[in-house]
Amino acid sequence: MAKETFTEAMAVAKDPQDSKVTKPKTSFIGFIADKGIFVFTGILVLTAVLFVDGFASLQNVTDVFHRAAPIGIVALGMTFVVITGNYLDLSVVAQAAAAGVILIAVSNAYNLIIAFAVAFVVAIIFALVNGIAVGYFKANAVIVTLATTYIGLGLLRLLSGGSQVFGPPDGPIATFGTSKLGPFPYSAVVLIAVTLILTFVLTRTNFGFMIRSFGVNSSSTRLAGTNTGLIVIGAFMVTSMAAMFAGFVLAAFSNTAVSNMATGFDFQALAAIIVGGTSVFGGKGSVPRTLLGVVFVSILSNVLVLVQVSYGFQQVAIGSLIVLAVTVDALGRRVSKK
Amino acid sequence: MTNQTVIKVGSTATGFWGKFKTVLARRTEGRAIVLFAIIATFVTVSQPLVFTAYQVTLGRIALIGLVALGLTAVILMGELDLSVASTLAVSGVIAVTVANQTNMAIGVLAALAAGVVVSLINAFFVAIVGINSFIATLGMLFALRGMAFVISDEAPVKLQNTDLGIAFGQPLLGPLTPRILIFFLIFIAIQIFVSRVKAGREFLAVGGNRQAAYDAGIPVKRRIFTGFIISGVVAAIAGIINAVERTSADPTSGSTVLLASFAAAIIGGNYLKGGKGSIVGTLIGAASLGMLQVALTISGVQIPIQEIFIGGILLIAVITDPSSLRAVWGSISTTFQGIKNSLAK
Repeated sequence: MAKETFTEAMAVAKDPQDSKVTKPKTSFIGFIADKGIFVFTGILVLTAVLFVDGFASLQNVTDVFHRAAPIGIVALGMTFVVITGNYLDLSVVAQAAAAGVILIAVSNAYNLIIAFAVAFVVAIIFALVNGIAVGYFKANAVIVTLATTYIGLGLLRLLSGGSQVFGPPDGPIATFGTSKLGPFPYSAVVLIAVTLILTFVLTRTNFGFMIRSFGVNSSSTRLAGTNTGLIVIGAFMVTSMAAMFAGFVLAAFSNTAVSNMATGFDFQALAAIIVGGTSVFGGKGSVPRTLLGVVFVSILSNVLVLVQVSYGFQQVAIGSLIVLAVTVDALGRRVSKK
Repeated sequence: MTNQTVIKVGSTATGFWGKFKTVLARRTEGRAIVLFAIIATFVTVSQPLVFTAYQVTLGRIALIGLVALGLTAVILMGELDLSVASTLAVSGVIAVTVANQTNMAIGVLAALAAGVVVSLINAFFVAIVGINSFIATLGMLFALRGMAFVISDEAPVKLQNTDLGIAFGQPLLGPLTPRILIFFLIFIAIQIFVSRVKAGREFLAVGGNRQAAYDAGIPVKRRIFTGFIISGVVAAIAGIINAVERTSADPTSGSTVLLASFAAAIIGGNYLKGGKGSIVGTLIGAASLGMLQVALTISGVQIPIQEIFIGGILLIAVITDPSSLRAVWGSISTTFQGIKNSLAK
């Protein structure tokens, strides 16, 4: 009952005729803050096609998507946690690695179905611990997920012995990692599929409404009769599921898995989310924006590789990009307040 | 009776035991002291070697705690500084590169200058532009890591003056190595600054309620700059010490330091939203972690299990925070109220 009225209220609030809020006049900086990522991605792609040798080949473009897939899938899922205003989920590093190692090690020992089941249970445990600590104990998400990263990676190293696990060379995992659907590798297909599913969840379902509502104003969402603890658990659940799939895809790439294979995924995924224009203050953002952020960052690093910029300068570029993106966001918010 | 009412403000606890309980409940270091006591007892019983070989233990504490001390200055204001990990790498690389071309003193100065520049950039984006410090310093984390790779040409830089590195590892004053001495000097300096100097005490006001601090005439932006400079310079000092002690500067160093120093600050009871916490708390947190690590290592416990221990302690520290317990108690009682109401219907 409460849920239905909540959705209706959201639907009414969304209806522009009923809304008394007039749209603020958009200035240039406001426009850039809101739609900048579309413009910049366009400019980047256009420049790359015109001036960079070897960029505009089907081989290169599919390769970009193929490499972007694991971090991209993590970023898409983590968008949910960011929209609830809980900064990020650091433990995706442990979760993706755990999923990959479990997929290969358990399917070697038993079979693929049991491997999926074990990975699923592990993902749910991660999500519950993170979600309960953040949602019900109101603990800081950065610290909670830092702690679960320590615990998760420690357990993983302990159980896997810290060594690499290999799948059979002609098994289903290896086949998945190397086959293509038309010109696109399966990893890119998974990336697009996850985008579609999560976009649907965020914009068309009750749960998605509540996530966004919680991000805009957590207190009023609670007072509207929503169990906010469950919302936070749900957001972490989405992230954990995405991290699990990212781990599968990553393991299938090379048909191997090791406990440190997802190092750096946490901040790289967050970078893509921020560049896409999702606000770290919560409430503002969308799944396609994150996909665009992922595409932008991967095309940028691809171009930098093609024009032979060193690894160090690539990192400098990505760091500057993050600061630039949030500066524009901050300036845009300042303009819209006036 | 007159209509005079007595309002009791603050603690009503008397006597030693009452005051003790008040300290545990109120002071942010309370839980850190409990944890420290538990770990110290456990260590004394199982591995007394940790105390007899106190040089090793102190060295470990200094390694974990140095960056955490600087970080605490920023956390007290409710900000975060993720860039310390990369500042550490960059300053180490700069110190060694410059020292190889000129001499060590100039190298140290150059590295400290780099730390100041980094913190000025951080503080500019946080205080002037108004970006969330978590994100601004995340950008710097990437950018500075890149700079470390660029300056070092993507390989560890060797310190040519190896005598200095060897001398640096030797005890300087009694049994204490320079690293431990520097750690305690910096601890005393920051502790005095935050608890005795007006500018430092205003850090807590800025963290507690920024608008109120601003209205009270505290130069909030200047305090944010000061805080970031403290954390940047301390990280730079840690980078120099690491580089000199190992006689080589690694551009990838510092990534584990970030997590360990956060753990020390949080276990020490510092409140991440700012306004509550202390440098002493961070010292206790670092001491607990350091003692635990040394004890576990001496007992031959594998590294992964040590990580599980640290993660578990961090998780317990964060969910036993009084505000966390209040929040969960609130939602439990609300749930029961809801069930009661629906049964009444």
